[in-house]
Amino acid sequence: MAVSDNPGGERLAPPDGSGVLAAALDLAVEYNFIVIFFFVAAIAATLSSNFLTFGNISNLFQQAAVVGIVAVGMTYVILTANIDLSVGSMAAFSGMLVAVLMAGGHNPWLAVASTLVVGMAGGALMGGITAFARVPSFIVTLAGLVSIRGVTYLISEGTPIGNLPKEFGSLGSTLIPILPGFDFPLMGIIFIAVCAIAGVVLRYTVFGEYVFATGGNIEAARLSGLPTRLMTMGVFAVSGLMASLGGVMLTSRLRIGQPTAAQGMELDAIAAVVLGGTSLFGGRGGVLGTFFAVMLLQVLRNIFNLLGLGSFYQMTVTGVIIVAAILLNRLIDHRMGRE
Amino acid sequence: MADILTVKNVAKRFPPNIVALEHASLSVAPGEVHCLLGANGAGKSTLLKIVSGAFKPTSGEILVHGEPIRLRSPQDGARAGISMIYQELDLVPQLTVEQNLYLGHPPARFGIIDRKKRRDGAVEALRRVGASFGPDVRVEKLSIANQQLAAIARSLTMKAKVIIMDEPSAALNERELERIFEVIRELVRQGVAIVYVSHRLNEIREIGDRVTVLRGGRTIGTFDVATTPENALVEAVIGQNRSLIERGARRAITGGVALEVKSMKGLDGLEISDFKVRWGEIVGLSGLNGSGRTTFLRSLFGAASFEGAILLDGRDFHPRHPGDAIRRGVGLAPESRKTEGLILDAAIYRNAALPSLRHRRLLSHRAMRASAEPVLKGLSTKYGDSERPVRQLSGGNQQKVVLAKWIIGGSRVLLLDEPSRGLDVGAKSDLYALVRRLADEGAAVIVASSELEELYAACDAIWVFHEGRNIQFFDPSATDRDDILKASILGVRTSTWQ
Repeated sequence: MAVSDNPGGERLAPPDGSGVLAAALDLAVEYNFIVIFFFVAAIAATLSSNFLTFGNISNLFQQAAVVGIVAVGMTYVILTANIDLSVGSMAAFSGMLVAVLMAGGHNPWLAVASTLVVGMAGGALMGGITAFARVPSFIVTLAGLVSIRGVTYLISEGTPIGNLPKEFGSLGSTLIPILPGFDFPLMGIIFIAVCAIAGVVLRYTVFGEYVFATGGNIEAARLSGLPTRLMTMGVFAVSGLMASLGGVMLTSRLRIGQPTAAQGMELDAIAAVVLGGTSLFGGRGGVLGTFFAVMLLQVLRNIFNLLGLGSFYQMTVTGVIIVAAILLNRLIDHRMGRE
Repeated sequence: MADILTVKNVAKRFPPNIVALEHASLSVAPGEVHCLLGANGAGKSTLLKIVSGAFKPTSGEILVHGEPIRLRSPQDGARAGISMIYQELDLVPQLTVEQNLYLGHPPARFGIIDRKKRRDGAVEALRRVGASFGPDVRVEKLSIANQQLAAIARSLTMKAKVIIMDEPSAALNERELERIFEVIRELVRQGVAIVYVSHRLNEIREIGDRVTVLRGGRTIGTFDVATTPENALVEAVIGQNRSLIERGARRAITGGVALEVKSMKGLDGLEISDFKVRWGEIVGLSGLNGSGRTTFLRSLFGAASFEGAILLDGRDFHPRHPGDAIRRGVGLAPESRKTEGLILDAAIYRNAALPSLRHRRLLSHRAMRASAEPVLKGLSTKYGDSERPVRQLSGGNQQKVVLAKWIIGGSRVLLLDEPSRGLDVGAKSDLYALVRRLADEGAAVIVASSELEELYAACDAIWVFHEGRNIQFFDPSATDRDDILKASILGVRTSTWQ
């Protein structure tokens, strides 16, 4: 590594005197996903006068919330250099389970709470197998993807379950007036709150610091006395909980439990996490990037809808943008001497 | 005779503003062992990577047989007859020796490997390096020394005219190194030129014809090994007259027993008995590679399982996880600081504060910096900003961050496994001065090292390990160095009072 050849690292500090502009530029490079987001949003606003309306913005958050919350859990998993392929199935299962419980006459609050506990336990189980039996999480959660979807069909007998209590539906449909004429969806608020909490946990708790350390170098973390296996279990529990919450919210929004819901959501979530600058090799990234990446992908979808272009265009361009953003990040890493 | 390889005024800069190499020149004649000497951060690795084609130079030129040549990749380098043997050998462990020897350049027609030709070539190359193993062995089964031989044989199959060896001795004991030297001498007789990189002056004395010294990214000069006094070389390396590690005055150890291993049976046949270290004492572990030093330290740290009876500060001690050991005040600086000791991409202060977080739930980055920075400064760690990733520090400063981890974490028993590996003379003597200071402040220290010289200078006591046992105890102030060396190599008790 050439960089470590530098004696003492004294010469690494950028030259002084270049001032505020350079610092701002550094910040813009570091948080390039935010710059890109606003850039794309600006394009969207020029393309369609409907884009910057209160109604459309609240729509954006309403639609982004479910995959966004799932992606937050995925961020934790990927920060430890693992992957969770089971989140789509877990979301569908949870959305189904909550519907089954309520159809069985249980109190909606109780149904939601127990569903979240089951989702978290399912995640912890997969994380536990990964950590203690040393099976790659790719395999364990791939098995989870298949099995959990199977269980979803089993508990629903393959048919959707509707007729859910009204109060449950309000979770996905409530609009809260935050400005005169601007009604913001409750789901969007939950999404933002989840991001905020997850971000604070990563930055200001020992758990968060251990997530970074475990992903950065698991052997060094272990030899520093960190409970690395519990950490792996922990992040999968978080991911299970988030997938579960996403599934519950999805069912509430659709007002129906769908066994086929959330197919392929794991890929959307992974794409958002990576697009948000979190390294698949672990140890680097964060929730802020994931938040903006989720919103960016949603804005793209939104533009195409507003322009009346079909989903084929949407898919094509989304893929291209993901690759372009990742190439940009590689370039920045290279220029900052991180390779 | 024209020089086989000439490097003229090569510079290498990395964006944004790192100068790895400023002004390096080197010229290698056929049939010579040309040593490359320089402190950590002098630019040796960068120069080697440029010469082998792994890096493109920012300016300057490279000539092979007097012809300027542009190397765009290591393949170009290999084609030009320049072969590089990295410190962490780039062999594929799961493949056989024969497969490895021709990896990347198999004798093939239309994509079909000519197995007969490959076999013959492999056998011939192995014969030339005097290998005692056959071409069908999987590389993972070979000892490090034999892997080195395989790597050299690989260079021969590429018809290399210049073989660059990056610190081959780092992982070898003295006997294994002697074998590598014999092979080098034989290859040189056959007209191959060797570029040999090492920190160790005595090796350079033994094997080198000429030596080029780098300092701060510049070539200081090329010297004739036989006629240049050692002091002059040391001075060229570090830029001033500075002694190697000096043995301090013998210290009186007044502390009580810190750690006592009455008996221990562990992995890889480890069997230790009657091992003691007192507060304020530095105990060295000497012995060949594989003698059990590392396993012993890892067992004490709870990173390897064992059976046995140990007392720490008078109380039973049986760590099952590193966490158990850390709670009792034991810290380990592992053998490989980059892969086991540090999270290279994480900030310096976050690495340093990591073990001390176990008492907390919430963390304040300001408090972490406030706890890390005074300790890092106390260890005279050189860093610009502790927000920077630890990867950007030099080896010696990285090792100080590892030490800081345990000092901040409140450890009073320090286990140091090869702490000086890869450090230059200056950084080494800094490190040992530091270890001595920590011991003076009351820490109990166990240091394992394959460099007896260092242990002899720094330790209050030395245990020789052999095949998993602690076979003999020495008081370095009353023993000749060679007696300890003999015990390490031969594995028999030697008398110390004749």
